[in-house]
Amino acid sequence: MPLAHQPSTVPVTVDAEKCIADKGCTVCVDVCPLDVLRISDLTGKAHMKYDECWYCMPCETDCPTGAVTVQIPYLLR
Amino acid sequence: MGQDAIQDATSEVACDVLVIGGGTAGPMAALKAKLRNPAARVILLEKANVKRSGAISMGMDGLNNAVIPGYATPEQYTKEITIANDGICDQAPVYKYAERCFEIIQELDRFGIRFQRDGNGDYDVKKVHHLGTYVLPMPNGDTVKKALYRQLRKAQVLISNRFMATRLLNAPDGAAAGAVAVNTRTAEFLVIRAKAVILCLGAAGRLGLPHSGYLWGTYENAANSGDGYAMAYHAGAGLANLECFQINPLIKDYNGPACAYVAGPFGAYTANSAGNRFIECDYWSGQMMQEFYNELQSGNGPVFLKLDHLHADTVSEIETILHKVERPSRGRFHENRGTDYRQRMVEMHISEVGFCSGHSASGVFVDEFARTTVPGLYSAGDMANVPHNYMLGAFTNGAVAGEHAIDRAGEIDLPEIDAEAVARERARVLAPTRREDGIPPNQIEYKTRRFVNDYLQPPKVTAKMEIGQRRFAEIREDLETRMVARDSHELMRALEASSILDCAEMAAHASLYRTESRWGLYHNRTDFPEKNDAEWFCHTILRKVDGRMVSEKRPVTPYIVPIEAEERGAYDRQRVRRQA
Amino acid sequence: MPFTDPFEDFGDVAEIARGLDDADPAVRRVAVLALAETADPEAVPPLARAAADSDPDVRRQAALSLAGFDGPDTAAALAAALTDPDRTVAAAAAESLTELKDVRAGAPLLPLAGHADAFVRAAALRALRGLRLPEALGPAVAALGDPEPAVRAQGVGVIAYLKREEALPSLIAATRDADAEVRRAAVGGLAFSRHNSAVEAIAGALRDPEWSVRETAAEALGRVGASESAEVLIAALDDATWQVRQKALRSLGRLKARRAVPTVVAALSEDMASLRKEAAAALGEIADPAARAGLEGVANDPDPDVRKTARWALARLAA
Repeated sequence: MPLAHQPSTVPVTVDAEKCIADKGCTVCVDVCPLDVLRISDLTGKAHMKYDECWYCMPCETDCPTGAVTVQIPYLLR
Repeated sequence: MGQDAIQDATSEVACDVLVIGGGTAGPMAALKAKLRNPAARVILLEKANVKRSGAISMGMDGLNNAVIPGYATPEQYTKEITIANDGICDQAPVYKYAERCFEIIQELDRFGIRFQRDGNGDYDVKKVHHLGTYVLPMPNGDTVKKALYRQLRKAQVLISNRFMATRLLNAPDGAAAGAVAVNTRTAEFLVIRAKAVILCLGAAGRLGLPHSGYLWGTYENAANSGDGYAMAYHAGAGLANLECFQINPLIKDYNGPACAYVAGPFGAYTANSAGNRFIECDYWSGQMMQEFYNELQSGNGPVFLKLDHLHADTVSEIETILHKVERPSRGRFHENRGTDYRQRMVEMHISEVGFCSGHSASGVFVDEFARTTVPGLYSAGDMANVPHNYMLGAFTNGAVAGEHAIDRAGEIDLPEIDAEAVARERARVLAPTRREDGIPPNQIEYKTRRFVNDYLQPPKVTAKMEIGQRRFAEIREDLETRMVARDSHELMRALEASSILDCAEMAAHASLYRTESRWGLYHNRTDFPEKNDAEWFCHTILRKVDGRMVSEKRPVTPYIVPIEAEERGAYDRQRVRRQA
Repeated sequence: MPFTDPFEDFGDVAEIARGLDDADPAVRRVAVLALAETADPEAVPPLARAAADSDPDVRRQAALSLAGFDGPDTAAALAAALTDPDRTVAAAAAESLTELKDVRAGAPLLPLAGHADAFVRAAALRALRGLRLPEALGPAVAALGDPEPAVRAQGVGVIAYLKREEALPSLIAATRDADAEVRRAAVGGLAFSRHNSAVEAIAGALRDPEWSVRETAAEALGRVGASESAEVLIAALDDATWQVRQKALRSLGRLKARRAVPTVVAALSEDMASLRKEAAAALGEIADPAARAGLEGVANDPDPDVRKTARWALARLAA
């Protein structure tokens, strides 16, 4: 029984221009209680890897450059 | 090695006190243990990161239950909580909390957590409950976690972030001897031996499914998946009154609360679709939730938060509090929908069900020293059965647990652990990673939680709960034989699904055992609609005995603060009386 | 396979601080964050250095991060950042300064109360308020003559937190300030004293043109607890602003002012339910049987909160 992928629009977006994860910053990844953010091996920037968001906001609030935006997940909007 | 790949490694560490859960109670427990014996090794284990974890990850806008000399007394507070909990309350831990919480407030103040002050710099306590005065706003409540974290660093508590504890280890005599944990990013295995263990893993918030169907839209921090309840159960500890579910009134589709503490004192209230009040007191209780549920089901429904009668300045003040600290995404939610509190009432709904002692009374049984029924095992915070204890209760009871546990650690040798038990646990934990394909954890979880809604959500019906038990048994078989986890992150979700299923089975078992109705909606059984004090004025204690789930009665310890018969039913009269 | 160390390692301060020398400002910012993370007092000197970085983003992050530290060195670094040419850096420093708890942090701040820039004066006084330093009294009293209202208001705050009787004349003078916010702070700050002159000044503020000052005065009289205030509070029940009437009712309850009963009973027919509730609560506090008929009249009030409070009050009368 192979697994299928289901698309979903993610609530957390990162402005790659502002993100300084490629300089060593890990703030948003560290503070997420559900551990859904990662730094991309390809771009060096933070992104939402798992769509399991409690929209609690520490990633946005604690980001030192204002790169992270949290939206309410579409299903709840 | 790619991100989140599963790595094969095991390590063992030892300590004097192991605290599991770095939210509210846990950091305080670890700090107090370490400060009382700076030479001791104290480990704080956290599934997320202590910096931003647990129910107050984003902060809290105030203390709900501050017992401050000159405003309220421990006697008054203990009485209020006993009545609010329908009398099923061991008063000693409640009284102890009430006596100590002011000292903890002052300590938090020294840590840099600011409480609202009047013009002379004294605490500006607000009046909410009619028996006493218990609310103390926290204007910079968003910095609570950071302030705690600094204290932990200064005291040199050993912090292990991103490790999820999976099972407790018992010594040959049954006492707590440590825990097994797995790294949520590498799946590395960690065995922690300890002389005392303190469980502070929060509520079981991912038990019911929110009406939206979104797994993560829970009232509680969605990381609080009931792992502590499951671990306490498997370690043989007694869990009290699990049938007293947590159910809260929320903004519909949004997981934020509204009224009683923040907007209530400004004149906001819960109303029906005609804009009329239908409950006497917005203070959260099972009886209030029952009236809320009745109104939702009636022709007067749905239910609303009413602020549109207030002055625009007052509404702005409420918005500042509501949108800033505890649930900062709330303003964004209303903005998306174009709702403005000033223009119209905001639709409300009831939350999914869960276990939580911070708001109700479903938790691991503890005494006034935070001791569970297993020697060397302590518990504090939302998962420990000290009713309605909220954030300040988690801090205070966490302190009690930390101090008692470190003293115990000073008196005993490191207990032996069973290598076979560790090997068995390793096999259990890693089983989903050994399969090539199967059922992913999110589907196991969704199905469990949907059945919790279908069969356990009050009003509770015996035959439905029994069907629910059969469905849970089927899911258990799938979970144990077919669940697959493809990386370390998914393994964490798989382990959480297992905790959630354990909690669902406990919720059904405990609810079937108490054959009466009590605590309003929290335990409303349609086939046993009356409160039956003659047979059920007692705690129910659920435990694992010889691998099986059993429940038994436990008498309520005689009160130290007497309650008059006429005061006892105060919460039974929640519905607004008909106009004369 | 080597095992990941299970415990957080916050790194060596000196090593992290080397990142502050990197040519890339983003790397320097990351170093500032890592220094803050250590919670080690050794991190204060490098953070102070970062607060003087050439890049404003690095300076702002350093000013924010210093909030996690305390003591005279932290205060000195933040004091320097208060005069930063970039306003956002100065604002961050002003916020961080309010986190100081160590009384030794006061020394670098005291001279700033006389700084040329009003923003700096106000921020320094605001930081000094929570420290409650006796040495701050002089500069705070001097600040009451400041041309800038924000500085005068902070001066009042420092004096009010110190709660010193010898400062009463200056607080009383400030209740007649040209700026309403200064007057409000002074009126609220006088409530620690039961001295006649203080009580009279608060009572006088019940005639202030600004309602927020009158509201604070009505509330403060209840906190002072001087029974001779009952008369003026009774008069305040005629105030045009409901917030003032509400606080006056609450204070009359706190004072258990029996002679207020007829006027408070009259307030049971206020239009706003929250005022009727406040009146019922006050009558419960006063617990004079003369209020019985009035309270029975609202026992069937359309608002359940009013009814509930009336029932509670009637029970207190019976007790």
